[in-house]
Amino acid sequence: MDITKALDISARGMDVQTTRLRVIAENLANQDTTGSDPRTEPYRRKTITFATEMDRAAGMPMVKVKKIGVDQSELPRRYDPSHPAADAQGYVRQPNVNAFVEMMDMRSAQRSYNANVSVMQVARGMLTRAIDLLK
Amino acid sequence: MDSTRIDLFDLAERRLGWLDRRSAMLAENIANADTPGWRPRDLLPFTAALAQAGVAPLRTNPLHLAGTSIRDPAERVQDGERAPDGNAVRLDVELTKVADTDSAHLLVTDLWKKYIGLYRTALGR
Repeated sequence: MDITKALDISARGMDVQTTRLRVIAENLANQDTTGSDPRTEPYRRKTITFATEMDRAAGMPMVKVKKIGVDQSELPRRYDPSHPAADAQGYVRQPNVNAFVEMMDMRSAQRSYNANVSVMQVARGMLTRAIDLLK
Repeated sequence: MDSTRIDLFDLAERRLGWLDRRSAMLAENIANADTPGWRPRDLLPFTAALAQAGVAPLRTNPLHLAGTSIRDPAERVQDGERAPDGNAVRLDVELTKVADTDSAHLLVTDLWKKYIGLYRTALGR
């Protein structure tokens, strides 16, 4: 029945948004994680992309996490000669995490998650009403 | 009361089936609200789907393959504004459609119950 399919699809949608939120949390938690010496790299921001692929178990295309990648953009540098990770000139490489970008991403994830919850509620209501026809 | 004259149950069944399929399709659109390149899909309007129903190739031998109807009853790709990643899902539009589907479903189930109620009254129960 398609209604149960709708429930499955929404559940999967919520699942991928949760993964996205996990990646955001990881980025925010590591926004000050520098290396412990000049050679080790600081934390690099992680990115997430989605794709829809045929799910054999469900027999229909489902959304899934395609890849959790690493943001290769340039690392900002901060002047702090006393830091253990400072290079010969006294600069420390910082993680390329922008808290504002992460916050906006978080809002977007929350919005998509809520939309999936709404669909699930509607689908459940439809299912209940269909069952009620038996009464 | 002649139940064969107005085939309300048959019509309601088709309508419920259509709403079922549509809600799954809308769920798919919303689940893919952040998938790059995803374009939202929707079913043909119910009246159009109903007009097409019952048109299928005739089978003169039971061993023949059933074949599909002339036009696929589903999937209309809509054009609209697209995000830089190619995604064209607008959550507000999709959620409005979900609400539409929900109220149409409510109408059909209520009518169904009313109709059953008429039978009950006629049977004196």
